[in-house]
Amino acid sequence: MLSTALNVTDVAKAICIPEGGTTGYYIAGMKSVALILYSVLSFFGYIQKIESAARHARVELLSRQTTLHPGANLQMGIHFILEPGWHIYWINPGDSGQPPVLKWQLPPGFSAGEIQWPRPERMQSSAELADYGYHDEALLMVPIHAPPFINNERLRGLRFAVEAKWLVCREVCIPEHASLELFLQSGATKENPATAKLFADAEKLLPIAMPRGWKAEAESRKSDFLLTVAGGKPITKAIFFPLDPGQIDNPAPQSLQATTHGAKITLKKSDLLLKQINVLRGVLVIPGGPAYQIEAPVRQPIQ
Amino acid sequence: MKSPRHLILLACALLALLASAFAARVGEPAPGFTAVDSNGKQQRLSDYKGKYVVLEWHNQGCPYTKKHYESGNMQRLQKEWTAKGVVWLTVISSAQGTQGFVTPSQENDYLKTMNAAPTAVLMDPGGSLGHLYGAKTTPHMFIIDPKGTLIYNGAIDDHPTSDQSDIASSKNYVSAALQEATSGKPVSEPATRPYGCSVKYKD
Repeated sequence: MLSTALNVTDVAKAICIPEGGTTGYYIAGMKSVALILYSVLSFFGYIQKIESAARHARVELLSRQTTLHPGANLQMGIHFILEPGWHIYWINPGDSGQPPVLKWQLPPGFSAGEIQWPRPERMQSSAELADYGYHDEALLMVPIHAPPFINNERLRGLRFAVEAKWLVCREVCIPEHASLELFLQSGATKENPATAKLFADAEKLLPIAMPRGWKAEAESRKSDFLLTVAGGKPITKAIFFPLDPGQIDNPAPQSLQATTHGAKITLKKSDLLLKQINVLRGVLVIPGGPAYQIEAPVRQPIQ
Repeated sequence: MKSPRHLILLACALLALLASAFAARVGEPAPGFTAVDSNGKQQRLSDYKGKYVVLEWHNQGCPYTKKHYESGNMQRLQKEWTAKGVVWLTVISSAQGTQGFVTPSQENDYLKTMNAAPTAVLMDPGGSLGHLYGAKTTPHMFIIDPKGTLIYNGAIDDHPTSDQSDIASSKNYVSAALQEATSGKPVSEPATRPYGCSVKYKD
């Protein structure tokens, strides 16, 4: 029943629709989905919110697995459900803002990996400002590494807790935070049916490595970088999101020229870039298609 | 019939071009300006030739600005450097109806309450000074040397958060740049990514 209610295509669509383009339908749909999900999860004890100063985002800690098993890694996620019009930020927030920060408190022997950032949206508020982040909803997945032996004597199971801090903005920005926790029992690792689809769909929004045989390289010119991606079919639409701040001018229009095997994209250099860079790292998002991880060696101009 | 959206997009692209043509780059002459301060006095950049000038983009409602004012960090910097002859110009580019917009008298009250000590506060609700320098965030800091060259463009410090507790362990880029410059050394970190709220420009 839950899987029918959880129409995640809509969720994905909503995430990919640029600012101003979302409709009430998606938001209303997602809200009810989130609500059902939330009540089901709370009932089973998978999520528990203990303290929260969140007014413009509802945030929950979710696990992809219902049980834990020695040596088997877990996948957890911080699920943000944002008030319409409000957004949070990508790892490189762009010209303003700040990405969410997580501080984990895990049972002995467990460790948390890095946030797996879904593909961002570009949000341009003026001629000199463009930010990168998420509207409506985002699941920030984090791998949790389990030790080979688990000592679980507690009846409630092992406690996984996270202190999340994030900045949420509309016209104004508000720092919010929440302390979240969940308890897991040991047992055979099983997927949690209530969160499976949410995680599976969030996975589809993660940038992937470029297919074998594809190549990305960049040429440093006087005031811009020419990023060339080649190896596949012509790319007619794409947006480049830089991972390192201060390399490209975020609000500058990116001009894309499709080639036989890919595309050439002109990226204006940032005013803050005073040195040569050797590599241009980022994510190339093809609307309606995949998002590729880009690590393009930069060719310097011939002196 | 073409939608007016195309025209708007074109206008935006042109604006972006214009903005980039005038943006302030480290090592190049800082763009000159005339602006009215919160006491109604005209302030010209050229009036301060021969002095170091700090520009501080400000929005009193922004959590990142609050971090540095409620902790007294910004006021400390203002007092320390103006005492050494540096000119400190706070700039407010929030458009009317947006966060941080204040009337001159509201601003003067704020300065008194906060015990702030800039040389002057430039009222820029039209955003032209902000656009001229490409100011992106509050705070966003610029330093101009006595010859009129831009020597710093970026963040106030190296902890891009809104937590006051981070200030103690932060490297203050503005202080570091002024210290280096005033002792005849080149600024070792002349451009950093500014952090904070977006400047609330008029659309």
